[in-house]
Amino acid sequence: MDLEHMKTAWKKEKSFEDKRLTEADIKAFLHKKSRDISRLFSVGLTFDIAYKGIIGISFLGILILFSGNRHIILMIAVILLGLIWAIIYQWRLIRRVPGTGASDPVIRTSLENKVLFYHEHYIKSLYVGALSNSLIILSGMLYYFYFKYGEVRAFQWDDYLVFVAAIVIGFFVSAIVQRSQFNFQIKQLESCLQEIDEDTITSQTIREQQNKKRRMIGIFLLAIICGLLVLAYLIFR
Amino acid sequence: MKHNRIHQQFLELIHRHQSIIHKICFIYAKNSSDREDLQQEIILQLWKSYSSFKGDAAFSTWMYRVALNTAINQTRRPGLLVDSTSTSDVPYDPSDSYHLSEEIQILYRAISRLKKIEKAIILLWLEERSYEEIAASIGITVKNVSVKLVRAKEKLAEIITKLQ
Repeated sequence: MDLEHMKTAWKKEKSFEDKRLTEADIKAFLHKKSRDISRLFSVGLTFDIAYKGIIGISFLGILILFSGNRHIILMIAVILLGLIWAIIYQWRLIRRVPGTGASDPVIRTSLENKVLFYHEHYIKSLYVGALSNSLIILSGMLYYFYFKYGEVRAFQWDDYLVFVAAIVIGFFVSAIVQRSQFNFQIKQLESCLQEIDEDTITSQTIREQQNKKRRMIGIFLLAIICGLLVLAYLIFR
Repeated sequence: MKHNRIHQQFLELIHRHQSIIHKICFIYAKNSSDREDLQQEIILQLWKSYSSFKGDAAFSTWMYRVALNTAINQTRRPGLLVDSTSTSDVPYDPSDSYHLSEEIQILYRAISRLKKIEKAIILLWLEERSYEEIAASIGITVKNVSVKLVRAKEKLAEIITKLQ
């Protein structure tokens, strides 16, 4: 097969030179939103900061409603401090999101920056983000108690179980779903990095990656089994 | 005023060098909607980086680097998040968008079966870029470029032979 002949044909191909895009088309593209994974990181963090802000307001409302209950006030104070810490953490993280755009980009560096940011920072942030769902469930329950009974009634042991299960499931469903979505995309970047390093990759690296994959599958299965057990209990009790 | 001038200058440069975008989309897009998305993403990233373009290299060289980097960093989203109305299941036929010679159509079909980095190396080779330039774009050594290029060309030749 004469690849040089193909190369000459490629150089002579006129179709690529057609001016399909007008300046107006190019201008219109500049007003659209990027679908780059870096933007997804930033949007995810921004959305969660706003979500946490709303949750904070909802807890302030509970604080007013239960102003006579010292235990509730203490719990909400801890939650609000936690929310403030989480918002500051995520706000700082937005500024560290690596962009694709650079004046003189190197493909390997750009891929490495994103993969590293995801593993070192964004995964933690997904768990911090998943806390929002647990807190919204908690605030919903407190509002329910207030408007139904005017107070938080004494719990039986199975009430605790339902209550804690809802909060834990809210947390894990959000964390696992988001993590698996991002993993799907990050794996594509990792496979490009592997392709770049193909000639230098050692058997030790391959073994490490296989072990890591096995660990992840184990954790994922454990989370599913726990979720199913709680669900089965709630249905058949 | 200055911003408008830079904006206009950018539009003119992209309009003039748009063949680079078409070639990269031709190689990396899997379907028509993918091609449009990639075109958009490349232009957005070029605009974002444009302010830091110092002019040390030729505009086309810089444009290749940003556009290739964008194409390789582009990721597919999980099935549930993909718009069900998109045409992603329809195989991409480049002859819908380009009036290509038969040879180029075979070359396209062969390149589409390569991995992402192999595609980049083959594209830069087709564009007669130097080994140093390819090495700098990807972030590997010149020696590594020659090894990878030999392998990619062998693989490409093999696929083309099967296709013919």
